[in-house]
Amino acid sequence: MSRAEKADDAAAGWVIRRENGDWSEIDQAAFDAWLSASDGNKAAYWRLKHSWKEADRIGALGIEAAPAGPRRSLARYWIPAVLAASLVAAIWIASVPSNWGSSAPEPAVATYEARVGERKNIALADGSRVELNTHSAIRATSTSGRREVWLDNGEAYFEVRHDPQRPFVVHAGARTVTVLGTKFSVRRDGKDVSVSVVEGRVRIDELSDADDRPASTTTITGGMSAISDGRSTLVTQRSDERVESALAWRDGMLNFDQTTLADAAAEFSRYHRRPIVVTDEGAAGIRIGGTFQASNVEAFARLLRDAYGLHVEIAPDAIKISS
Amino acid sequence: MVSDDILESWFCSEVLPNEGALTGFIRNNWRAAEDVVDLRHDVYELAIAGARRGLPDDARAFLFTIARNHLINRAKRARIVSFELVADLEAVQHDVDMLTAERHVLARDALRRAQEGIDRLSPRVRQIVLLRKVEGLNTRETAARLGIGIDAVERQLAMGMKALADFMLGGPGKIMRQKFVRKGRRETEV
Repeated sequence: MSRAEKADDAAAGWVIRRENGDWSEIDQAAFDAWLSASDGNKAAYWRLKHSWKEADRIGALGIEAAPAGPRRSLARYWIPAVLAASLVAAIWIASVPSNWGSSAPEPAVATYEARVGERKNIALADGSRVELNTHSAIRATSTSGRREVWLDNGEAYFEVRHDPQRPFVVHAGARTVTVLGTKFSVRRDGKDVSVSVVEGRVRIDELSDADDRPASTTTITGGMSAISDGRSTLVTQRSDERVESALAWRDGMLNFDQTTLADAAAEFSRYHRRPIVVTDEGAAGIRIGGTFQASNVEAFARLLRDAYGLHVEIAPDAIKISS
Repeated sequence: MVSDDILESWFCSEVLPNEGALTGFIRNNWRAAEDVVDLRHDVYELAIAGARRGLPDDARAFLFTIARNHLINRAKRARIVSFELVADLEAVQHDVDMLTAERHVLARDALRRAQEGIDRLSPRVRQIVLLRKVEGLNTRETAARLGIGIDAVERQLAMGMKALADFMLGGPGKIMRQKFVRKGRRETEV
């Protein structure tokens, strides 16, 4: 066997074993030793790991894994079952695999809401956890084949309980985020959707207007963020700091880095009934950085006055900032 | 010294997209087709070692310079290539610029390539790859579902993983040129 083949085979073995979920400290030590033995090992491992991750896209193609044994038709595996919601006049049509039975209970939809300035912890029926940020609303439902959440407004952080049989799907406007088990947050401002992943991997599909097939698909993993921009989805380079900063709200904090005052003010205003308004363009363009308590808008206003010499006027309906 | 994390992300985002072009370059400039994958492996190894001292500004030019120098060194050592070939290699800078387009195509077509890569796998390997990627089953769960041994699952999954990587990085979609293989053999027989 050639050197390259040997390194490739070993690398494939490590990629597989690391994914299996029963990874011990001894495994880690053996792996570290192998990886640091040569740059050739690193090349082989990084190459396979990278393309294997890229191949996650095939999950988006809607191919189903064929059942065991001789090939049977896929239709037999995925028999569409009709779930009639007797209380509502609507009929839900869902694809439910036949081996889970077509007698799935009628999905109950639960609604959760956090008011302006509020932050809420929610335990979903399947054991997943959701943290709602200020002024946010979700609806959640769960069937035997699928767990679904609609982010109607605002921002939410999800810790999804791993369940390969039931994908966890978050609908946010024209985007859907699909995961098996992971930690991530989704934020929705009208049509704009951004997703930050702490751990695991998620798939983001953009729905096309014409039919049900996704118009575009992006897969991102821990440490990455994706921001929708019209019809396209921008994926950031891997940056744990950026994800951490995007999730600072979970500690009641807002993180700014080279953020314009206009954007920072808009961010603060999400948490308060009385918005911060920047009244002139000169002040709006000032770049600021730092970590602030979301609830303490007065401290923020004070800082703008003292450190930047801006004029702050506290009116009943708004906090007005000008230069 | 550049950390391994940074090296890894540089390697994946800057080096690997050149794999198709790099493989083609080695194949075109080396007569023994069976050496191509090993030579590419050497080039990657040298590239990582070099980049550890400082990431190059232009990864593609860096990579092809390494490839060219490595082929020249190997050729001189093995004495199986003529001086004309070495001269050709030394003029490789032109090639590098023409290879830019390929890389963009590759990024845009990643989903299609993943699909085609899957289609090319043998039915059994494809099934095992899909159980992993679509249903998220691990090795043990896959073995239980298919009623086969864990070793067999690992072996076939590894095959699928390697074949997909080759294909998605622009590999064996291109048919190896028989002319080169034959020519190489004849000359080594002499």
